[in-house]
Amino acid sequence: MSSDYEISDDDENYYDYDEDMIDGTQDEEEEDGDMYMDTYGDDFKVAPKNKRKPYEIEYESLSQAAVEKLMQEDVEHICGIFGVDGSTAALLLRHMSWNKERLIEKYMDNPSKVLVDAGVTVKEPSSPSAPVRSHSSSNSNSNANNGRRPTRSTSKLIGLASGSKSPKIPTVSPPALRPSKPTRPTPFVCPICFDDSPDLKPLSLDCEHSFCSGCWTAYVSSKINDEAEHCIRCMAEGCALVTPDPFIRALLLVEPTEPVGEPSLQKENVATWARFQELLVRHFVASNPNLKYCPYPSCTNTVSCPGAASKASLATVVPIVSCGRRGFGITEEMSQSQPVGMGLAAKEHKFCFGCPIESDHRPVVCNVAKMWLKKCRDDSETANWIKSNTKECPQCQSTIEKNGGCNHMTCKKCKHDFCWVCMGPWAEHGTAWYSCNRFDEKGSVEARDAQSRSRASLERYLHYYNRWANHEQSAKLSVELYTKTEKKMEDMQITSALTWIEVQFMKKAVEEVEKCRTTLKWTYAMAYYLARGNEKELFEDNQRDLEKAVEDLSELLEQPIEAENIPTLRQKVTDKTVYVQKRNDIVLEDTAMGFLEGRWKWNVAVEGFDEPEKVEF
Amino acid sequence: MDARLRRVNKEIADCKNDKTSNIKIDLIDDSPFHLKGSFPGPEGTPYQGGTFEVDIVIPESYPFQPVKMKFITKVYHPNISSASGAICLDILKDAWSPVLTLKSTLISLQSLLCSPEPNDPQDAEVAKHYTTSKSSFDDTAVYWTQIYAGGPGPQGKKGKGTTMGKEPRDEIAIAGLERAHVEQFEALGFERSKVIDVLRRLNYRGPNVAKLSEDRVVEELLK
Ligand SMILES: [Zn+2]
Ligand SMILES: [Zn+2]
Ligand SMILES: [Zn+2]
Ligand SMILES: [Zn+2]
Ligand SMILES: [Zn+2]
Ligand SMILES: [Zn+2]
Repeated sequence: MSSDYEISDDDENYYDYDEDMIDGTQDEEEEDGDMYMDTYGDDFKVAPKNKRKPYEIEYESLSQAAVEKLMQEDVEHICGIFGVDGSTAALLLRHMSWNKERLIEKYMDNPSKVLVDAGVTVKEPSSPSAPVRSHSSSNSNSNANNGRRPTRSTSKLIGLASGSKSPKIPTVSPPALRPSKPTRPTPFVCPICFDDSPDLKPLSLDCEHSFCSGCWTAYVSSKINDEAEHCIRCMAEGCALVTPDPFIRALLLVEPTEPVGEPSLQKENVATWARFQELLVRHFVASNPNLKYCPYPSCTNTVSCPGAASKASLATVVPIVSCGRRGFGITEEMSQSQPVGMGLAAKEHKFCFGCPIESDHRPVVCNVAKMWLKKCRDDSETANWIKSNTKECPQCQSTIEKNGGCNHMTCKKCKHDFCWVCMGPWAEHGTAWYSCNRFDEKGSVEARDAQSRSRASLERYLHYYNRWANHEQSAKLSVELYTKTEKKMEDMQITSALTWIEVQFMKKAVEEVEKCRTTLKWTYAMAYYLARGNEKELFEDNQRDLEKAVEDLSELLEQPIEAENIPTLRQKVTDKTVYVQKRNDIVLEDTAMGFLEGRWKWNVAVEGFDEPEKVEF
Repeated sequence: MDARLRRVNKEIADCKNDKTSNIKIDLIDDSPFHLKGSFPGPEGTPYQGGTFEVDIVIPESYPFQPVKMKFITKVYHPNISSASGAICLDILKDAWSPVLTLKSTLISLQSLLCSPEPNDPQDAEVAKHYTTSKSSFDDTAVYWTQIYAGGPGPQGKKGKGTTMGKEPRDEIAIAGLERAHVEQFEALGFERSKVIDVLRRLNYRGPNVAKLSEDRVVEELLK
């Protein structure tokens, strides 16, 4: 077993969120680790407590609040080094895509340039008159959440006390605060809405471009909601100043002391502020290769998975993660109002950290999975017929419709038992020489001319695609069948003496079948690209054993259920479920180990792997 | 009153009252949010003498989102689609500022006609024409101004004394090609429209003609 794979399972290490994650600078943060855990431990969804399987990757699910905490730590770090307030530090970090190291380097080199580039200060020919904008209330204003009036300058630098590591103080010219109105000779007319009412509140950033608060709010809302933009510049043409968070907050959130505005508008503004927070988190997550935002609609969780952050790592691991939430990202009460049933609505948000596939594609690695999906898309028409739910009985040719997940078909008319996938007699499938999963390569090797070669290559593809598509289909059908069965079992609970617990065994079994069919599905994608040889044969042996076990369990699940046969059925199903679980583990474990050991060879070039020795199918 | 409506009404009124500007904004139908702007082509450019009309759509979140504009009048210009009138101009996209107005935006369009940016083209074929053969480009732009924007035409231009009037439009001039080149390939038995299409696509103009062999053109024509 490769040593870098064995990561300690003890919880302390697990929680020790890697400070290096973002940029490798960590001087000031060392002690924060424990505190971090204590305060925010509750927000972490704990990954499997028991020993991790080789096919499981170490990851953490982070709530939005937990990610915000990470952001806040970076912000505070920068505040400490640069002596700037929180909102300035945040703008600087966002400008540098949260690359702290680069920011520090650039800032030390030329702070005023960085401040101008980040939209914090106005670009101006420096006048050395006002070195540091100092103001009496600097401390109270240094908190990012403390902004009150957007008119207030928000880009001020607080005093730099510690001389040693302070950079050169940038010279920021216009004098600190300008609450505009009193000095204005003419009454204020908003240059956007042309409103000139005396109770209008003109607001500006340091650039002194004044607009009414209504226009500011409408503008900021439009940027956030219509453009998903978190970096919002001043409204004046060509002005590069960026609105700091306290400014936006003051526009959108009403202070408790203020007269309350129109309730619907207020609600909208609160939602806009929340959306803004989400955009900031998304930007942070997108800037950090160790993090990925949950792709499920309206879910705001993030997964941290440093083990799959590099491209190279994707040749050895399949980083399937789960964000820690369930359901379609809807609120708790909504999901509760839905029938719980099979809990389809409450499914985990499982996705791949390494590629855009939003489901479990173990055991096959990302690049091969992507290749396979592309092939399926390209060849979709050729293969369409396979997906059809009806076929003809190979013996009497009467039409047979599949309505469960089981592949053991019995013709209603002639009672012929056959396999839905290969259409061969079912009797052969129960024996040791079951080989429904293995493609007979002889045909394609013997093919001489181009035409029969291309026919053989299509047949080969169809062999794998057929089984791939069938497992996908069967998984769906078993779930459908189960929802019917579940209803029946719940009814039986009322009419017979069965307890709730006693009618639950099917649920676990169906879940397991669905999971294993997903594994099986992807084993066919893998087998299609595996180079011929011993390794592939062993892989197919494991695949066959799992497939056989899953088919047996599927068949059990389709048995008619009556109150009197429940105890025996329950025993059989439970035993079989345990066995299926074991077979699935074997497939996943062996494949995962194979990736770590570099055992798998492909028949095509795959990114991150050695070139195939010779292309041979 | 709706802030957007108030602002647009004021913009339209201001534009009407401004006697010095030559920018016009008119209603198309009853809606104040779908307008038609127009302005004269700038002096000293191939667009001189023409009147250019622009379709204006004011979005829901105007002026916080940019106004949508495209040319109604066909214009031969690297930053304007010769087919759709779509405009490539930064202030209509991310450089938009809510302080910009319909009038100031139309003025920007007018100055876009003065200073094409062929390196950031909207119409790649037109841009290629502009960069390979500026004088041929100018001739074509003048011709377009004449036939689409009511311009005076290439009067006084040497050797090309087309008189104004209702004569049929010259497809070769519209495409900015040389008559001799088109006829050369027509003589090989290809249809005129096909020849024009291919030569325009290949930018068969100026110094480019020497770089494109007859075989290469024929190959394209046969596709
Ligand atoms: Zn206003
Ligand atoms: Zn400004
Ligand atoms: Zn999620
Ligand atoms: Zn993946
Ligand atoms: Zn039959
Ligand atoms: Zn079979």
